[in-house]
Amino acid sequence: MNAKIGRRIGLALASLVFVLYILAPVAWMVSSSFQNEAEITSKPPHWIPHQPTLENFAAIFQADKEVTYETRRQGDTATGGYIPSTAKNLLPAMWNSTIVAVMVVILNLLVSIPAAYALAKIRFVGRSSSIYLMLTTRVIPDIALVVPFFLFIRKLGLMDSLSSLVITYLAITVPFSIFILVSYFEGLPDELDKAARVDGCSRLQTLLHVFLPLALPSLVAVVLFTFLTSWNEFLLALMFTQTPASQTMPIVVASFTSDFTISFSFINAAGVLAIIPPVILALMFERYIVSGLTAGAVKG
Amino acid sequence: MSTPKAARRLRYPVSRYDQRSAMLFLVPMMAVLAVVAVFPVLYSFWTSLFDLKLTRPHRVPFVGLDNYAKVFADPLFWESAARTASFTVMSVAAIMVVATLTALLLNEEFRGRRVLSAVLLVPWAIPYVANGLMWKWIYDSGYGALNGLLYQLDFIDKYMVWLGDADKTLALIANAFVWKEVPLATILLLVTMKSIPADLYSAAKVDGANVWKRFLHITLPSLRPGFALVIIYETMMAVRHFDMFFILTEGGPAEASHVMAWQVYVETFRKLSFGTGSALAYVMAILTFVLAFSVIRTVGKKL
Repeated sequence: MNAKIGRRIGLALASLVFVLYILAPVAWMVSSSFQNEAEITSKPPHWIPHQPTLENFAAIFQADKEVTYETRRQGDTATGGYIPSTAKNLLPAMWNSTIVAVMVVILNLLVSIPAAYALAKIRFVGRSSSIYLMLTTRVIPDIALVVPFFLFIRKLGLMDSLSSLVITYLAITVPFSIFILVSYFEGLPDELDKAARVDGCSRLQTLLHVFLPLALPSLVAVVLFTFLTSWNEFLLALMFTQTPASQTMPIVVASFTSDFTISFSFINAAGVLAIIPPVILALMFERYIVSGLTAGAVKG
Repeated sequence: MSTPKAARRLRYPVSRYDQRSAMLFLVPMMAVLAVVAVFPVLYSFWTSLFDLKLTRPHRVPFVGLDNYAKVFADPLFWESAARTASFTVMSVAAIMVVATLTALLLNEEFRGRRVLSAVLLVPWAIPYVANGLMWKWIYDSGYGALNGLLYQLDFIDKYMVWLGDADKTLALIANAFVWKEVPLATILLLVTMKSIPADLYSAAKVDGANVWKRFLHITLPSLRPGFALVIIYETMMAVRHFDMFFILTEGGPAEASHVMAWQVYVETFRKLSFGTGSALAYVMAILTFVLAFSVIRTVGKKL
């Protein structure tokens, strides 16, 4: 009996440490985003805001409300720390990120589904070399691709456009998607393939009518990974976007962090908005993510 | 990185219809990979043979392998390589320890475990940029949470400089990186743990092995493939990591966090010297390849 109680206490303590380790940093970011300038610059910090304020979020959501150094100062005479006038760029940037991510997801599926089916279920000459090509492209670091991408995108005249991001994000998402799908298709019985072919289905019909419906869980995983990778990508967006017309969420958020005059409470508010969509998606589709991550990493 | 089943060689005849449809199915992938992976890699090598500076776009002399000689002659290259190595070793070691502990916890059956595994995904989902700003604020020397916490617990009697301290920078960035990478590593280890047959444990119990002995002699050895996977994957992630160096320190203070990925960025997009930048990126890509394969061989064999 004692051992059982000991185990329960041990598990409870370990769970507590675990939850604190994961959630305390996030909680501190959320708490900071609701603090005014006087609170955020208090020593020691206010772990929970004493007078929570929505002014940081208001500056982001009310584009018409012009925030300048002076108006912020009026509102908060304590320090004069301020909300940048670029605050209103955040929502359009999140919208840009969403457009890019959705485009990448669609193109990615069109490219990887047929390829993965062919690699997993069709016997043909050149299959192993195609697999090795995929393996190799997964190992190339993105930082090694930025110089050629930059010159290439500039030559095509696609600088500062969302399409430059869509094209290059395919490079970093397609190999991973194919690996998830190949490992899933391989797990489906070959007899299905044979039966459909005997019934007179063409390869394309077999893929569309037999395998796609069965592969739904892995498709969900692919959609999620591709969406999140595109939504979160920073390095390439840093290279190719210059104006708010094409800047994505990570770029705008990063521009806040590098400006020392911007209040940390505002920066944290931007951070909170940036993490809400991906965290919600991850929690909604937890099961698919775990299985997808496992398949993708184990195979790749 | 095991070779997938599909890569095994074929020994029987292939139908012409199958051959044709497979090719058609692969065309989009081949096109995409050619444009966004194969071509850039070749083009990058080509660029690295020229003295291409965007500050001087009309004169681009061919210099052969001079850019590579320049890269290797630069002491900063070797320093940043050493920094990349120490960042990688620190991060991967810490990821292994933390992920093993969390995986052990989540492998137990208890009420609330489902909630914990959902919580685990939070750092994984957070964008690196947001993760960077979160830790930048935590480490803030003026009003950050780290200072506040240590001060309230009486570990320090005045606020300290954290990221700005050259001796601490790399470890602090590694800590932020570890926090973000632990979920993936945990998931990979959990899968391996789940595959350990339960009768191994019950047999050991009968033989009188305590919890610690069972962990040491059953769990740890059985986790080898999982460990290998985590080491390979996270080494590659750490070596190339860029985002948080940009957000947290921009390579500073002085050059305390000037790693290789950061140097590629500085060389190309701050100094606008695309020739040496390409050479540097190429060296890095090759290093990553060599590293990936040597890690696969040694770790894969030993573990």
